[in-house]
This record gives sequence, structure tokens and C-alpha cells, in this order.
Amino acid sequence: MNHVQRRLVSTAAKLTSVSPSAAVAFPPPAALRRAKGAFATDDFDADGWAHVQPVPTSALVAFANRIGLAAIFDSPEAIRQACTHPSFLTLYRQQCPSKRLPKTNAQLATIGNSLMGLFATEYIHAKYPYLPTRVLKATISAHVGPGSLDSVAREMGAAPLLRWHRSHETENTPPVLHADAMASIPRSLTALIYQERSLPAAREFVHTYFLSRQVDVRAMLKFFNPKKSLLEMVQKYGRELPKSRLLRETGRFSNSPMFVVGIFSGVDQLGEGFGASLRMAEYRAAEDALMRVYLTQTPPEDLQLPSSTFPSVQGNIYAAGPEGAYVAPQIAPSDILYASSGRSRV
Amino acid sequence: MPGPVIMRAQLRSRPANGHAAFLPQIRKLVFEYCDKWPTSHHTRTFLLTRLQALARENPHVEVVVKQRNQKEPIVRGFYVNNRDKVIPLKELEVTAIQKKVQLLLDASGAKIVPLKRRAVESTTEAARGIWSGLHAERPTL
Repeated sequence: MNHVQRRLVSTAAKLTSVSPSAAVAFPPPAALRRAKGAFATDDFDADGWAHVQPVPTSALVAFANRIGLAAIFDSPEAIRQACTHPSFLTLYRQQCPSKRLPKTNAQLATIGNSLMGLFATEYIHAKYPYLPTRVLKATISAHVGPGSLDSVAREMGAAPLLRWHRSHETENTPPVLHADAMASIPRSLTALIYQERSLPAAREFVHTYFLSRQVDVRAMLKFFNPKKSLLEMVQKYGRELPKSRLLRETGRFSNSPMFVVGIFSGVDQLGEGFGASLRMAEYRAAEDALMRVYLTQTPPEDLQLPSSTFPSVQGNIYAAGPEGAYVAPQIAPSDILYASSGRSRV
Repeated sequence: MPGPVIMRAQLRSRPANGHAAFLPQIRKLVFEYCDKWPTSHHTRTFLLTRLQALARENPHVEVVVKQRNQKEPIVRGFYVNNRDKVIPLKELEVTAIQKKVQLLLDASGAKIVPLKRRAVESTTEAARGIWSGLHAERPTL
């Protein structure tokens, strides 16, 4: 087998395949029809024809079973709608001008986006009460932003089910990329669960598939002047001013020195840092002290979410029902601006 | 002076399949058999007797049966990472075909690589910590 055949074989899974079970006339009559006086049937768009063919129902049902939502949908048409991006209508109108337009997931994606933002915000804010606002927003984007939604949708196996059409940027509309279209699928699923079941059920879905994934919050905390920020924080909490002390050192004046510096407020050590120079070690100690405050986590058993008060009744949130318990925690002091002169670039 | 920034397109989470819910990696099984040739006899028996039970037990898999005449029988598994695994069923009995199908159902679709390169791959730090000479107790006599 030469390299061309091996490449074709390896991409069999990536080819757009039309399922014979979709009861479609093959070969398509438009491909065989020849216009009067035309030399050849070269105006038939095979790729467009293939993309417009419906996704087999078995694939949609298998997808629903894979994500554990088979019991929610009484027909696979809801999933078909969730996997149809509004950009698909452009292609559909070109290929099938006389047929009725399929339902798209535009409204569902909008509702789902709001719901996911709500669940992610309340969870991360409850989990990290001292996290600065901009970092909180970045963490929310990391959990339920378009990049993650695209990854999760592909891991769920929604890529062959998606119906969309690429469009380039025009002066009035943004471009539609594959990642944007894929990201609309989990949003639509969240909205469908909210409609078919309840808000707590939709929250459970988002927690299971999106908020349980790993995000490095520490890497998103970037400091411009950590010593100044730590000074401001210590003054805010009314403690003694931070003082850095050398705890350990080795190799001074050699080509590989190592210093360990601790930052103290009175007798309490706030943070510790290492470095190849005294200044670098002090910088890291200040960063460490700030990280210890910002990355404080609520223990999982004490974690309470405000959306627990919504009842678990089917329908929208305005339906009456027994409310869940929620005790508001103490509000953490508002975050200080930890970049110099208020201009935070994070 | 501009400080370090977070790039919005870089914001994404890393997968943790199995931590809260497990997503099976296989999405479709395609059986290709010949109607006439004797090498497909066991495959045809399998398709007639055991396939429906298999599909019922694995509702997350789309099962497709395709006739491919004058060729040897194969089973092809499609995975969510856009790869596929092909297993020929030419000289296998029905129980062996069952085992090969189970192999495809359990697989992740990842490329099989030798395990000689890296000892441990992990996204979390060491559980017991990394030893540091500057933080260890000084030896005493």
C-alpha cells in the first residue's frame, strides 16, 4: 500500500459520507441531468449535495445515548435541531430551493449560552471567593467558552452530526468557523434539557461535562508588580507591613546560586519563593503570598450555589415548586487592583 | 508599560473523561460482508444471530451492516477522535468475531504507540512532593 492509499484509508473517518439508510436517490438525478446544449454536467456541486443530505436517525439516537440523554428526547428531531447551525440555511437554500427550511439551533444556543454562563459563574465564584474579577471571567471562559465547548462537542462525537456552512467575514457579519458551529451544540443541549426537564437538571449537565474539566487557574493569575500588590492587600486587611527575610541560601557568588526568601507580616509568614537572585526570590515570594489568598477554595462540602433555590419542576423557572436550601456565605473583600496604577492588562 | 496578558482564544479546559461522567469513544461499527463467499460464512452467522443483542447492549454505538461482495469480511470501528480501526474477520469463528468486536467497543481510537518513551504522563503534580535540599532538615550528628 503506497502512501496515497494509506492517507485515504486513514481519513475514511473524516470524509463526508452519505448514509444509504436516509432513503436518498443515488446517484442524484441532478448529477445525471444534462442541460440542453450543455457539454457536460459540470455544474453539479457534489460536496454541497452531500452536506445537505440528512444525518441518519441512528447516529442521532446513538449520540443521545452516549451523552446519557436518551430518556429526555422522545424523538431524535430535537437533537437534529440542536445540531443544525443557522449558517446551514444558506447552503440549504442553494441546494434545495423548494423545500421547507429545517429548524436551527439559534434560539436554543442563545438560551443555553446564558444558562451555561450562569452556572459557571456561580460555581467558580462560590469555589474561589477571593479570585479577582478579571481572572474569574477568564476562568469562566475557560470552562464554558467557545474553545472548550468545541472540544467537548468533538469528544461527545457531534462532529459528523453538525450541519453548518462556512462563511467568510463580511462588513456586517462575523465569520462562521467550524469551532463556532460546534460550540453551538452543547449550548443547545443545555437549553433543551432546561426546556424538557428543569433548571437544576441543566445545571447537572453543565457540571458533569464542563465544570468537571481541568482548568489551570494559577496560570491565569499574572502579576505586574506583586510586591506593590501585596503591600496594598496587607494594608487593606490592616496587618503589619510585609517584610522579606532570607530563609536559606546556597551558592552565592557561584554560577548557580539559590535563595529562598519568605515574606512576613509580623510573625506570620505570608509566602515563600525561590530564585537565582535575591530579587527574583523576593518577587516569587510576593507572588506566592498573593496566590495563597486568591486561590483559596471553598471546601466541596460547604459549597452552595444560589441556583439551588430554583424548583426541580418541569417547565421554566417561573413555575411554582418547592425551593432548595441556600445560605448566603460571607462576602469576601472586593479584589484590589493588582497591577500598577489601576491599569490591569489581564 | 504593558504587563502580561491572557489571550482569549487560549482559554480552554483540559479533558477529564471519567471524572464525573464517562463518554465512550466509539461511535459507529460497520460490518462489511460478502453474500456468497465461504470466508464470510461465520460473519453472516454472527450478523444473523448475535448482532441485535450487541446493538441493544451498546446503545451509544451506531451499528451499520454493509454488503461488500467478492471481498473478505471486515469490521470497522469509528471513534470520536476521527480515527478508525479495521479488523479483518476472514478466518475467525463466531466467538472470535465477538471478541474482536468487543475489542473495538472497548478501544479509544488512539494510535497504538510503544510505551518505551515516557514513564509517567500526568496533568497533576507529584502527590508526595519534590524533594528540595534547601527545605530538608539539616543532618545532625
